[in-house]
Amino acid sequence: MMRLLKQIWYYLDVSITCLRVAILQMMEYPSSMIGWLLSNPIQFLVGFATIQFVVSEFGSINGWDYGQLAFLYGLSVISHALSMIFFIQGWFMGWVVVEGEFDRLLTRPLSVIYQFFFMNVNIMGFTDLIPGVIVFAYGCCKISFHWTLSNAMLLLVLLIGATLIRGGIYILLGTTTFWTKSTTDFGPFTQEIFDKTTMYPLSMYPESMQFVLTYLIPIGWVSYYPAAAMMGVENSIVHSPGAVWLTLLVGIITMLVAAGVFHIGLKQYESAGN
Amino acid sequence: MKKTNIQAYIQVYRTRLIRSFHYKFEVYGNVLMQAIIMLAGTFFWRALFGSATKVQGVTVDMMLTYTVVSSMISILLTTNVERRITQSVMKGTIAIDMMRPINIFGTFLAEDLAGVTGLIFQNLIPVFVIGSLVAGLPKPASLASFWWFLLSLFMGFWINWLLAAVFGMIAFWAIDMDALIQVKKHLIRLLSGSIIPLWFFPDWLRSVLEYLPFAYLYQLPLNIYIGKYTTETLVKGLEVQLLWFVLLAVLFLFLQKRVTGKVMVQGG
Amino acid sequence: MEDKQVMIEVNHICKDYRVLKKGEGLKGAFKGLFTRESTLLRAVDDLNFSIAPGEIVGFIGPNGAGKSTTIKMMSGILTPSSGEILIGGRDITKYRKEVVKNIGVVFGQRSQLNWDLRLGESFELLRHIYRIDKAAYEDTIEVMDEILGVKELLDKPVRQMSLGQRVKGDLVAAMLHSPDVLFLDEPTIGLDITSKYALRKFVKEINEKRGTTIILTTHDLADIEQLCNRLIIINQGRLMEDGNLTEIVNRIAPYKTLVVEYYDEYAPEHEKCELISHEANMAKYRFEKAAVTAAKLIEELSAKAQIKDVSIEEAGIDDIIRIAYGQ
Repeated sequence: MMRLLKQIWYYLDVSITCLRVAILQMMEYPSSMIGWLLSNPIQFLVGFATIQFVVSEFGSINGWDYGQLAFLYGLSVISHALSMIFFIQGWFMGWVVVEGEFDRLLTRPLSVIYQFFFMNVNIMGFTDLIPGVIVFAYGCCKISFHWTLSNAMLLLVLLIGATLIRGGIYILLGTTTFWTKSTTDFGPFTQEIFDKTTMYPLSMYPESMQFVLTYLIPIGWVSYYPAAAMMGVENSIVHSPGAVWLTLLVGIITMLVAAGVFHIGLKQYESAGN
Repeated sequence: MKKTNIQAYIQVYRTRLIRSFHYKFEVYGNVLMQAIIMLAGTFFWRALFGSATKVQGVTVDMMLTYTVVSSMISILLTTNVERRITQSVMKGTIAIDMMRPINIFGTFLAEDLAGVTGLIFQNLIPVFVIGSLVAGLPKPASLASFWWFLLSLFMGFWINWLLAAVFGMIAFWAIDMDALIQVKKHLIRLLSGSIIPLWFFPDWLRSVLEYLPFAYLYQLPLNIYIGKYTTETLVKGLEVQLLWFVLLAVLFLFLQKRVTGKVMVQGG
Repeated sequence: MEDKQVMIEVNHICKDYRVLKKGEGLKGAFKGLFTRESTLLRAVDDLNFSIAPGEIVGFIGPNGAGKSTTIKMMSGILTPSSGEILIGGRDITKYRKEVVKNIGVVFGQRSQLNWDLRLGESFELLRHIYRIDKAAYEDTIEVMDEILGVKELLDKPVRQMSLGQRVKGDLVAAMLHSPDVLFLDEPTIGLDITSKYALRKFVKEINEKRGTTIILTTHDLADIEQLCNRLIIINQGRLMEDGNLTEIVNRIAPYKTLVVEYYDEYAPEHEKCELISHEANMAKYRFEKAAVTAAKLIEELSAKAQIKDVSIEEAGIDDIIRIAYGQ
């Protein structure tokens, strides 16, 4: 037990140092920061506005009104932002593997998967957080969300779980690189899938797809089910706010599976130049 | 243009085309991605229309055709010229690149044309097949509208390429282009009608967008394809499109001269 | 570390790589979309050796011989396809996190320093990663400063450093946690003369002062001659030679060359040596060290023709490499 606590403290200590390094590094590139500060909010704010134009024409999507859609969309963007901060490296794994960038991590006495993500914490991800919080806050006002302690707690659980699900899927996709040796950037691909499936009600897709996105690829748990649970929107699976904990559970399972596959893949690692 | 130059461009085209077939995971990944965007779009519109027959004068079938054809256009509008220019400037190889006997922008254009040729086989045809299976064969409103569509698409291709080239040349003055390229990409995606047609936008915004070039990449050709036009709007649309094409071409030639001068003086 | 006599033990390691085939031309490229052919390539084939604490071992071999692969397996980066590597008695594949605490690695072409920040910032991160307390850290910096003069670099951003300075930074970074084993993969590549000199001085001094075991791969034969008391030659994934430099030279190139300048153009022959070249007044004889001494040879040759000048050339490292690679 003592050893475990010591171990946790050790990783925490290294994480804080990494964070410091990441912040210092970001400040070396102010123009890049301003660029992302412009680009990411535009993407999500304008994106949300265009959905509003359509919904105001049709009234609702599958029974989700405008406020509920804002709540869902906001949650989705916030967990996206968090996954960008901690797990964006998964997108570039192809390049990292082919360039032999794992060499250095393997010579250090820390978990490789931990180093891969935390040595490269992407502070810039906060530029996604801004539009997420704006749209979410707007949604909360529209649906008169009750800011009780238990609701805040549920939100936290939801966001941690959702971030783990996203991160786990990035890792799983990126890990294929160990076998394919391809430098494919999974970024645009994953983001497209997540955008289409977490920003809108999942119920608009055919049942077979809903099944896949609920039980096989757990994307439904990123925002649709927990948001429906919190707002009490009718759906096929969850009916009480407590179901939000399922998101955390699914997140932890996804991350554990991803880490396992990652470690099997790492044995296939061939470094660079061979 | 001399004959040897054309041969050089053909060589660039050929090399790039061969290379495009080497990255099969990229190829499959892209097809999958395009298909997902398209499929999500069709379900989105089906869910929205529900039992409604016509909204804004458009039926759900027209909207599905719109979505499939929009996906196909987005494949044809794939260009790499911005990245090529920014990378060349950032790595400092631009001076050497520009001193080659063949024009660097010509090389980039040949590469992009080769890229699109590859994509027609690798992405466009699969996306067309998948789209037809899911949403029905995307038929044009009439034969006439198909021909006008092709004309408008052709001009749209050039507007897109020139816009990208002009945009890429900003790299000679600005340092960090990554985020700017993203901004442009998002603006085109959201304000060109590629996903959500502009006729759903508020009037004030739509009347502004009708004078920006973005709408002439997707909205105009798509309107023509599904037959949502009158003779009057068709003529006006094509006129504005032609105007943008000419404007961007002039701007491109002007900037190209400026940039060449800048490189010759500073050596990159 | 119970057995003090063995620092590194390499037992029958092999490494196979899977190599994808790519088709030629447009047709081949198109075909490649649907098929996936690959072949197995054996990069390292049954290597066996052990290294004692405090040794400086040089790995040489032609490009693609497997020396980089071997050093990467020894430092925990690559997993052997079969066989095992023990460092301080523990299997590095099984106990990577534990074992690597005791090793330092420097890749000549790839830095572990943060490009954008001052050097001290990278050291600070390593200090936390290896749990080095402040006092021990200061001590190491002090020692390293004496050898390399690194203190003046601490506040300099890495991107503003010369290659030589950067390599110095990397050497210190690898030594911060005082490892028992240091791996250097092509450390002198691209370095100027002064930086090479500093690097060699560093290797010698940490080996003497701290008893650090050092494994290095290099293309620079001067590195080997000046540093290594042991040489391992690898070719086509196999161990060709293993031993001390002079011992290897004596074994695979057991001859010397006697260069004689005569007053006349006549160069006499001798039954115990071979006349390998003869131009004008100059003659070169190659003789086996075991068969005859140089003194005797000179004496007997001078009886046949008048000698103006002589010199003796030892077989050098380039001779043995030529011979070893030629096999």
